[in-house]
Amino acid sequence: MNPGASAPRLSLSGVSVAYRRNRVLHDVGFAVGPAEIHALIGQNGSGKSTLVKVLTGLCTAEPGACVEIDGVPLRLPARLADVRAAGVAVVHQSLGLVPQMSVLENMRIGRLRARRFSRRIRWDRERAAAGRMFDRLGRHVPLDVAVHRLSEEDRATVAIARALQDTPHGGGLIVFDESTRALSRRSLEHFYEVLDDVVRAGTSALLISHRLEEVAEVADRVTVLRDGKLVEAGRAARRGSEGELARLMLGRALQAISSGGGHARPHAEPAVELADVIATRLDGAAVRVAPGEIVGLTGLADSGYDQVPYVLAGVERAASGKLLVNGDHIDLDRFTPAAALGAGVALVPGDRERAGLASGQTVAENAALPRTGTAGPRLSPIRRRAELAELIPWLDRLRLHPPDPHAVVGRLSGGNQQKVVLAKWLSRGLRLLVLHEPTQAVDVGARAVIVDAVKDAAASGCGVLVAGSDENELSMLCDRVLVFRDGRVHRELAGPCRPEVIVAAVFASSQRRPLRANREERVCP
Amino acid sequence: MTTHSNQTLSADPGPAEPETAASAAARGRRPGAALSVGRLGSRFAALVVWLVLAVLYAALRPETFLTRGTFQTIFGSQQALVFLTAALLCTIIVGEFVDMSVASNFGFAAVLVAVLNVHHHWNVWIAAVAAIAVSTLVGLVNGWLAVHLGVNTIVVTLGMGTFLLGLGLWITDLTPVSGMPSGFAQIALHPIAGLPAGFYEGLVLMLAFAYVMRFTPLGRNMRFVGANREVSRLAGIRVNRLRLGAFTVAGLIAGAGGVIASAATGGFDATVSQSYLLPIFAATFLGTAILEPGAFNPLGTLLAVYFLATGILGLQLLGAAGWVSSVFYGGVLIIAVTLATLLHRRAA
Repeated sequence: MNPGASAPRLSLSGVSVAYRRNRVLHDVGFAVGPAEIHALIGQNGSGKSTLVKVLTGLCTAEPGACVEIDGVPLRLPARLADVRAAGVAVVHQSLGLVPQMSVLENMRIGRLRARRFSRRIRWDRERAAAGRMFDRLGRHVPLDVAVHRLSEEDRATVAIARALQDTPHGGGLIVFDESTRALSRRSLEHFYEVLDDVVRAGTSALLISHRLEEVAEVADRVTVLRDGKLVEAGRAARRGSEGELARLMLGRALQAISSGGGHARPHAEPAVELADVIATRLDGAAVRVAPGEIVGLTGLADSGYDQVPYVLAGVERAASGKLLVNGDHIDLDRFTPAAALGAGVALVPGDRERAGLASGQTVAENAALPRTGTAGPRLSPIRRRAELAELIPWLDRLRLHPPDPHAVVGRLSGGNQQKVVLAKWLSRGLRLLVLHEPTQAVDVGARAVIVDAVKDAAASGCGVLVAGSDENELSMLCDRVLVFRDGRVHRELAGPCRPEVIVAAVFASSQRRPLRANREERVCP
Repeated sequence: MTTHSNQTLSADPGPAEPETAASAAARGRRPGAALSVGRLGSRFAALVVWLVLAVLYAALRPETFLTRGTFQTIFGSQQALVFLTAALLCTIIVGEFVDMSVASNFGFAAVLVAVLNVHHHWNVWIAAVAAIAVSTLVGLVNGWLAVHLGVNTIVVTLGMGTFLLGLGLWITDLTPVSGMPSGFAQIALHPIAGLPAGFYEGLVLMLAFAYVMRFTPLGRNMRFVGANREVSRLAGIRVNRLRLGAFTVAGLIAGAGGVIASAATGGFDATVSQSYLLPIFAATFLGTAILEPGAFNPLGTLLAVYFLATGILGLQLLGAAGWVSSVFYGGVLIIAVTLATLLHRRAA
């Protein structure tokens, strides 16, 4: 070991941040060692992202904070240029790539050099520089292809290669800020395979993630934040320790969530049936959901499973297909969102910010939208009092935090926003509730509440369809899981199924490999 | 080297000979320029429509359309629009939607140079520099409000545009100003090969703009800032400085265009600038359907300006009255925005 290696790669101490009177970080400090994957976990609103913002200069810490990189203090407030010069790279949410630009452009943006007089970019040099990074990774991706045309695995490689440019060989630190949240299991395995090589060469990684299963599997050490305060710094992580981590994060033990729905009444009539659906990514899909049953839909990214929710909700038009609900045969080629609601089918979309909520409006206004949107006489005044009376029990049940119906939705954490989306629909009697990635980017506490609420809805006789790529979520929720391929159901996994089984079925040819198989199980320092 | 490009055909708006992406790469050229034959069509479709339009008019009105005068009108009278679209492109490319003040800023510079010269007897060149400086400052203020204070761009620039229009009317006492020296008019009207200097100035401006966008790090950084601000910031681009710069340069270009327009007519009427507002948007959005489908691009916009001029002039020659330009520009704006949306969806 060289002498420099004895100093931590990154060390923070005394970091406090306040937005106006609202303090979001209290005196936080921890250290990331050389050549380790260090995870930073905490619920939404616990201050993880603020900590990253302190590092990238978007947030200013109060005086007294100290950030050192390889033992050298960083001047605060941080300037991104200094941080980069010190060998720290940040990978943004969902890999931080611009899809319509080429791999080469994404790799070199912000670093492009021009010729002296013509100011033209020297693409030959840029190409060579990008190539060197892929050589360092030992993996190759075509440089001229637009990023959105790449496979998800290649995109993950590009994101790592891009970050690697700022880190010196065998040193430096890469911060992954929720970078892996949209990756499927297969890509995740690939991602950590690549990252493991990088870490073994000496670079460190600071991993910010909601997926505790992932953290327990890949991290060497874990730092836990709760309500802006440090709960534990640099705890050694072990496989299977996600329960422990959840307890630290929440400050209470999470009630064990039994897997599977268990409320199914498969022979109860009438079931909701979807038959022969042809759409842009669906080819003869057929799904049957009995009242009280929770059915999962999953598959590879291009298998079409994630179009089913949108076709069912009338958001995306199918070329043909039939929906049998309540004894009515409805043609899907002329289906609309209003017709879907009329038939008792409601959608909780995956993209919360864009399609789930109006973030500038209050909780009550958002939750009442299904009623005001379809109310009969459009000009009669809204009965606010009745609206609230109906909503409040739901907010209690979903443990909305803060429990204020007049809070503006945009100010809530991701998990609480998702609760509002659910409250919006659960307060109406539905025949079929359709969910797309219901617990994506939601912390474990909210996740448990959401899972319970969905199961309650099923228990009260509503059919539930969950489309998602998170095998843990599906395993927790579903009575049955349908695996899609080429736009139709390829396999049916009956009965409650374990996550491994779901992954194996999705990726047919492969098993669920452990992430970072060769991580040495370290002892707590 | 890439091998996937066997089925793709690459073409450049300039040298149109097909070549493989691999050989292009070997020359160190811009990546991502490889296009399928299908997309090649959409790059030039608008140009074909332009040609068809010209042939149609030529067939219907050969005696008036096929003349030197028509040619000169189409290419010689669009200097104002070329500068204005260039100014709008500056901000629209970095993702600011949309600068509504460029037309008024242009008009204000035009009346200011005339007022300073004719009413206050300043030297015309000093007046010109002063007017451009004021316009640049206006751009800077726009940018400061929108970028650093985070005020909505449309609202800020709409307010600024109306404010400047009012100021322009005030300093001119609601009457057109005229009487600037004819020597100064040469900067706009000096004929070169049958076309006025203003045409070449617009051409040089757009070519320079296109060069920056296509070949330089600055241009690439601008496109990324427009595509995703946070990704760009984390890549080390100084996003806010770039956005502020875009507003400022937009003001500079609008001011320069205004001064040249004022020189051409020996003075200016403050109310005229408003009639440019719609054509600017029509041309800029139509430009996204030309050369680089789905992207705002300077050369496409330049061609769109002349496309629109051809359409209007032809209709006028066919006997349409004054209302035709509103109908045409408005119609084209709708079609152009629709096209831009569709192309962008396909490109994404």
